[in-house]
Amino acid sequence: MENRTIKEPIRKKWIWVVLAIITLGVVPWYFPDAAAEPYILGFPLWAFISTAFSIIMCGYLSWLCVNEWNIVAEQEEAERAKGDKS
Amino acid sequence: MNDLAFAGTDGIIILSAFAIIMLLIGYLSGRGEKNLHHSLSGYYLAGRNLGFIALFFTLYATQYSGNTIVGYAPTAYRTGFSWIQSISFMTIIIGIYLLFAPRLYVIAKKRNFVTPTDWIDHRFKSKAVTLLSIFLMLWGLGNYLLEQLVAIGQAVSGMTGGTIPYQIAVIVFVAVMLAYEWMGGMKAVAFTDVMQGIVLMIGIIVFLIGGLYLVGGNFSDVTRYVAEMEPAKTAVPPMEVNINWLSMLLLVGLGASIYPHAVQRIYSAQSEKTLKKSFARMAWMPPITTGLVFMVGIIGIMLFPGLDKTGSEQLVGLMANEIAAINPFYYWIMIIFFGGIVAAIISTADSVLLSFSSMLSNDVYGKFINPKASEHKKVMVGKVCGIIAIIFLLWIAWNPPGTLYEIFVLKFELLVQVFPAFVLGLYWKRLSGKAVFWGMLAGAILAGLLTLTGYKTIYGIHGGVIGLGLNFFICIAGSLLSPAVSKSKVLEEDLTAINLKA
Repeated sequence: MENRTIKEPIRKKWIWVVLAIITLGVVPWYFPDAAAEPYILGFPLWAFISTAFSIIMCGYLSWLCVNEWNIVAEQEEAERAKGDKS
Repeated sequence: MNDLAFAGTDGIIILSAFAIIMLLIGYLSGRGEKNLHHSLSGYYLAGRNLGFIALFFTLYATQYSGNTIVGYAPTAYRTGFSWIQSISFMTIIIGIYLLFAPRLYVIAKKRNFVTPTDWIDHRFKSKAVTLLSIFLMLWGLGNYLLEQLVAIGQAVSGMTGGTIPYQIAVIVFVAVMLAYEWMGGMKAVAFTDVMQGIVLMIGIIVFLIGGLYLVGGNFSDVTRYVAEMEPAKTAVPPMEVNINWLSMLLLVGLGASIYPHAVQRIYSAQSEKTLKKSFARMAWMPPITTGLVFMVGIIGIMLFPGLDKTGSEQLVGLMANEIAAINPFYYWIMIIFFGGIVAAIISTADSVLLSFSSMLSNDVYGKFINPKASEHKKVMVGKVCGIIAIIFLLWIAWNPPGTLYEIFVLKFELLVQVFPAFVLGLYWKRLSGKAVFWGMLAGAILAGLLTLTGYKTIYGIHGGVIGLGLNFFICIAGSLLSPAVSKSKVLEEDLTAINLKA
């Protein structure tokens, strides 16, 4: 029962597989030389896509912090509530 | 950043105002806290009670220094669009935190850790491993602090148009920093970071707006100009640059996340919830910090074409001069912005110094010289040794090294070698102290030698990353051949995830 509420990112493989895929999207190794054009919002095509992946990385990591990490939060909340009462 | 003639007296007024505010915050955060100076965790970790706002801003202002602006804009100017990597390597740090911070936070609270070394010591119980990691971490911190001291002087003398010479600028601001740190410890550092972080954030945004105004408001025009004049800067990066980019992600991600002052921010969090929330927000900061600075550097290519390496280092100062000339509004904003750069440098330097003295006091003095000393005495020793260290570093700083970025990579090369001990040690029971020691030593020697002999990168891979590869290999192979046999029940308990909650 207790074990089920614990969420620790290191124990979920998919988290790191997705992060690796995003990282491979950030580094522009996969573009042909012609990908310098067109310009999108002032960025060369390759830089625009790389930046898009960087922003996906920001969102993904931010989401992980909130949703896939939970070890003692509830316990601490409970203790705090107890402390406030006494 | 010389010849910032636009500021002068007005710059001195703003800088003095910033200095007074910092001192006031330091004074207020130390006032009425009797325990602050009598307990290591009170002084160095703000009593493990940093709330969301203070924790977030202290993470932000510590991670992003004045160098993020003054050093990264010129790098973008010189390398072009591939410097967009600065967004990703600042973001990946949060990913690396997720590898170890969740568990380390719980263990640190339970076992009352003050420094990163406390964990290494607790995990391996080996004097050799502890000493070597103290050395590597202090080396990295010292170098980092040195870099900040050099930068403070350049920023202030630049801003006041040389009215305040380099040396006096450094001494005055270091004195301010030492004073508020003495009064309030981590609490003062974190609260001043709130002010310093806000100024930095607003400053970068206004600076970019000013820069865009100067080039006619359209970033696409800038890119078209760059593509025409210097096509290499907009071209798809060659393979070596891509490998270097990946290597940079590893080096900065692994190195910056285990910086002692970064680890101590994990220890200082009031609760897991606060820590998670702060990291979740931090993950969004790179696009609006290094991302905007990157754009500033690219705009610089159009505004000031053809600068050589030394010339480009002055880029932020040159642009600020132009922006300040637009109208009085921009003039004052630029002065505040430059004050903000100084504040940002100080906010990084104060955290590094605090971490440096905590390691001297808790690790060197408290573990090896006088373990029986009272906590009050240990705190005192840390404070005094911190000041001595600063005086020593200032003496070196009077002869500042070449460009800022080069020292930035140098400090990571050795520091990052502590990573396997730190993180593998959290999860792998068989990891043995002996293997960790030899891995760390071999990695550090290889990384140091590669750097010193001019092979800072091989095929784009940093010496520090190659050293780390060797380090990991020795740690894993050594532990497989001769695994650690844990006799400690306490440790056994910490390494078993299920017990974490109890």
